[in-house]
Amino acid sequence: MRTGIFFCQVEENNRLNVAAVAKYAANLPNVETVQELGIQPRLDAKDLAGLVHSGNLERIVIAGDMPGYFKPVFTKAMALAGHDPLEVRLASFREHGASGSTTLERAKAIVACAAFGVPFALAVVPGEKPVQPTTLIIGAGIAGIQAALEIADAGKPVCLVERFGTIGGHMAMFDKTFPTLDCSACILTPKMVSVAQHEMIRLLTNSEVIALSGSPGSYRVQIKCKARMVDVDACVACNICSEVCPVEVASEFDAGIARRKAVYIPFPQAVPNAYLVDAENCLYVQSAGKKCGACVKKCPKECIDLTQKDEIIEIEVGNIIIATGYDVLRADNIEHYGYGILPNVLTALEFERLTNASGPTGGKIVTKSLKLNKRTKLEEWVFDANGPAPKSVAIIHCVGSRDQNYNSYCSRVCCMYSLKFAHLVKEKLPGADCYEFYIDMRAFGKGYEEFFERIKHEGTFVVRGRTAAISELNGQMMVTGEDIIQDKLIQFPVDMVLLAVGLIPAHGTEELSRMLGLTRDEDGWFSELNYNGRPTDTEKGCIYVAGMCQSPKDIPDAVAQASAVAAGVLSSISSGKGIGHRGSVTLSEIEARAKSLQAK
Amino acid sequence: MAIRVNPKIIDDLEGYGAEDVHLCYHCGNCSAVCPHADEFNVFPRRPMRYLQMGLERKLETSLEPWLCYYCGQCSDQCPRGAEPGETMMSLRRWLISRYDITGIARLFFKSTKVELAAVIIVALLTGIFFLGFGFWQGDINVYDGSNAFLPSSFIHNFDLALGFLVALFIGLSAFRFWWFSMGGKSAVPIPWWLYIKKVYLLPWHFFTQKRFADCEKETTRRIYLPWLAHLGLMLGYITMLFIVMVFVKQLQAGPEINWSVHVFGYLASLGLLIGAVYMLCGRLKKNRTQYQRSHGSDWIFLVLLFIIALTGVTQHILHRSGLLLAANIVYIVHLMVVVPWLLRMPFTKWAHMFLRPLGMYFSAVRNEALARQKSGIETTVQARKVA
Repeated sequence: MRTGIFFCQVEENNRLNVAAVAKYAANLPNVETVQELGIQPRLDAKDLAGLVHSGNLERIVIAGDMPGYFKPVFTKAMALAGHDPLEVRLASFREHGASGSTTLERAKAIVACAAFGVPFALAVVPGEKPVQPTTLIIGAGIAGIQAALEIADAGKPVCLVERFGTIGGHMAMFDKTFPTLDCSACILTPKMVSVAQHEMIRLLTNSEVIALSGSPGSYRVQIKCKARMVDVDACVACNICSEVCPVEVASEFDAGIARRKAVYIPFPQAVPNAYLVDAENCLYVQSAGKKCGACVKKCPKECIDLTQKDEIIEIEVGNIIIATGYDVLRADNIEHYGYGILPNVLTALEFERLTNASGPTGGKIVTKSLKLNKRTKLEEWVFDANGPAPKSVAIIHCVGSRDQNYNSYCSRVCCMYSLKFAHLVKEKLPGADCYEFYIDMRAFGKGYEEFFERIKHEGTFVVRGRTAAISELNGQMMVTGEDIIQDKLIQFPVDMVLLAVGLIPAHGTEELSRMLGLTRDEDGWFSELNYNGRPTDTEKGCIYVAGMCQSPKDIPDAVAQASAVAAGVLSSISSGKGIGHRGSVTLSEIEARAKSLQAK
Repeated sequence: MAIRVNPKIIDDLEGYGAEDVHLCYHCGNCSAVCPHADEFNVFPRRPMRYLQMGLERKLETSLEPWLCYYCGQCSDQCPRGAEPGETMMSLRRWLISRYDITGIARLFFKSTKVELAAVIIVALLTGIFFLGFGFWQGDINVYDGSNAFLPSSFIHNFDLALGFLVALFIGLSAFRFWWFSMGGKSAVPIPWWLYIKKVYLLPWHFFTQKRFADCEKETTRRIYLPWLAHLGLMLGYITMLFIVMVFVKQLQAGPEINWSVHVFGYLASLGLLIGAVYMLCGRLKKNRTQYQRSHGSDWIFLVLLFIIALTGVTQHILHRSGLLLAANIVYIVHLMVVVPWLLRMPFTKWAHMFLRPLGMYFSAVRNEALARQKSGIETTVQARKVA
C-alpha cells in the first residue's frame, strides 16, 4: 500500500526529535512521502487531497502527540481524492507512551506499526517468562490486606511488608466509613487477624523494601527488618514496659493528638499484637546502653532485647503489588487557616481519632484545654475527655485540593468524609451547629448523593463557598467566607474547625518508584499502564498498583482494585508465566512482529 | 426586564489586561479575603461572574472596581490562578474607556503602539510650536523676564488652556460615570440629600487614600510602603499641578529662590521622583502581586512621569546655576513630555485619580440608599405582620 506519513504536533515537545523519526519513517517499505507539518498546522482538505492524488496515496499515517486532532481533515482529503477514507491511521506518541529514556525508539515503533497498518498494542507483546509463586505486597493497609488475603486464600504464598509497627493502615484509624456509617474497625479487624493467622502469609511489620533486582517473574527483593526489640511471640501486651518508659512522643496512630511512649503498641487491636521499641526515641538505644533500660528490667516475660540490630533479608518473588497508600497534606502550609496556631483547628485525621471510641477522649468530641506539662513546665493545648464540647463546628472542604497553589487535583474522598464528620458531630452533639463550606459537592458513588441529602436533613448548614480565613478575635475563632448562593459575605464565631485536607502520595513514594523503576504522574502518584483498560498494571511487568498509591480513591474502590490485582497475580501464577517488561521490547522486535501480523 | 448578554465581553477585556477570568470556579475566596468587600459590594467574585455571563450592563453600572486598590491578596490566594485582582484593574481600564465619549481611551488601552505614537506626535508638535514661538519672540539665552525664550506669562495662559481641556474631558467622564452608576442607568433611587451628607468623603479619599492603607491591615506582614509611595506620588503630582497652574510666574522667576513657592515645588518633586522610582522598580522586579503584570499604558505613564520630574528639577538647577541656554533646552524637553502626558490623562488609567474617590463617594451614597431601602422593606414587612 502506498503510504504517506504526515507529522503534525499539537504541542511543542523538546524531548522528541521528530526529524529523526521522520528520517526513519522515510525508509519504511511502501512509504511514498514523509512530511513534517509542524505545530498546529492549518490544514486544508482540498490541498491535502491534491497531495494524496499526486502521490496516489492509499494510506495516510498521521504521526504526532495527538494525531486524532487532525484526523477529520485527512479523512475528508482521502474521500475527496477518491481513496478509502478508512485508511487514515494514527500514530499517537502520547497514547502509546513515547516518553522517558526510550522516547525515540518508541516513537519510531509507533510510526512503523501505523505504517504497516497494525495496532500498536498487538505488535508490542513482551515475552513471557516463568514465574515464582510468591507475591510481595508492599504496604498493609486495606488494599494490601485485601490483596494478600485473596491470593493467600487461593493457596499461593504472600510476603506482606509494612513500614509501621502494625498492619491496618489509615483505615484502622477511622471511626466510621461513609456512606453506610459502618464501624470501620468491625470490617477491618477480622481481616487483620486473618492475615496474622494465615499460613500462606509471611508478615513483616516494621520493615521496608530497600532494593530490587531480577526481572519480571523472578525478582530478588531486599527487605530491611528494623529491630522491633520485643519478641513478638513471647509478648503478652501487658503494658508494663510502657508504664515505666520515661520517653513521651506524639503518637502516629492518633495523628499526633495523643502521646505514646518509646516502647509502645500502636493501638490495642494491633496486628501483630505485640509491643515495639521506637529506636529513634529510646534513651537506651540512643545512649548506646548507658541510660535507662527500665522496660527490660520490668518485663515479666523477659522478651525485650534493646540490643537487637536491624536485619536485612532477601527473598525471591514472582509478582509485586504496591499498596503504599497516602499521606495527608501538611495543613500548616496554608497560613490563612491558622492550623498549628489556633488550637482548635484540626485536620481530618486528627478529628477521626478524636471521634473514635479508641481515641484519646474515648470518642467524646471536645475542644482542647490548656494543661500544664509537668516535664517542660509549659502550658499546652491538649484534648481532655472532660473538656468543653464545641457549640459550633465548621468543616472546610478542598483544603489544599483543587488549588493550584497546593494540589491542583481533587482528592476525591474529602467531600464524603466531611459529610460523615457533620453526621458524627450532629449525632454526638445534637445541640451543636455544624457548617460545611464546600466549592462543589462531589458525591459521586453509590448512595453518596443520598447521604448528602440525609446530612442536609439532619440540620447541618451546607454553605457553598470556600472559607478564606480563620482568625481569632478576643479568644473566639471566627470564620470568614462568602456564601455564593446567597451572594453575601459571612463572618461568624465557631469553636472548632475541621480542615478536609487533601491527600498526597505517601512519603517515600519517590524513592520506591526509583528503586522499582516505575513512572509516576505529575502529581506523584504511581502511573498505571492504561487508565481505562489496564488500571492496575504498570509499565513494568509483574508489578501492580492497588489502592491509594495509584490515585486518591475511597475504601470500596481501593478494595475493588486490590481484588482486581489479586486476580491478575493469580492468573500470572497459575499460567506459570509472568508478563515481561513492555519497555524492554526493542524496535526491531516490534517491527518484525508488525510485519508478520501484516502478512496475515 | 430582559437582560442583554454580551458573550464577547470576556474576550474584549483581554485587551485591557484580564486574561484568566474564565478560569474562575466561584469558590468565593477572593471576596472573603478582600479587606474592602462589604454587604453591598461583594467583589471581586461578583464582577468575575458578570464577566463570565456577559452582563455588560451590570458591569457598566458597578462601582466595585473603584473600591479596589489592588493589594493582591485575592490573586495570591486564588486556587485557580484566575487573577481576580488583575481583573479588577482591567475593569477599571475598561470602565474608563466606557466613560470616555471620544473613544480615545479604548484605542489607547487596546494598543500601546497607538498610544505611544500619539504621545510622540503630540510631543513633536509641542516641541516645534514652542521652538518656533521662542525664536519668534524671544532670546534662547534668556530664561525669565520680558525677553525670555519662554515667557512665564505665556506659559501660564497655555497651562490654563491645557488644564481647561483636561478638566473638560475628565468632567465629561465623571458625568457619564455618575449617569451609569447612579443616575439614569441605575436601579436604585437615591435621595439628593444623601449626596450632600456624604460629600466630605470626596476630599477624604482624594487626599488620604485611607482605604489603600486598609489593604495592608489584614495581611500578616503589614508594609505600608505601597500606600506611601502611591500617596506621595499623588500628592506630589497634585501640588505640582497646582503651583504650575497658579504660580508658574513665581516658579520661573529667578535666580534667587522664592521659598514660599519653591519649598512646595521641592517637596512635590521629591514625592514624584521617589514614587515613580519605587513603582518602576516594583514593576521591573515584579516583587508584589500588583506589579506582576504591567499594561503598556502603565509603563508609558511611569516613564513619562519620571522624565517630567527629572527635567523639571534639571531646568531649575540649570537656571539657578546660570546655564540659561541649557535650561531653556531642558525646558522645551520638559514641555514636550508634559503636554502629551497631561492630554492623555483623561483617556488612561491616570483618570482614576479623580474617578476612584468619586467611585468611593458614590458607593457610600448608594450603600446608604440601599440600607435605607432594605430597612424600609423590613419595616413594612414587620408592620404587615403586626397588622
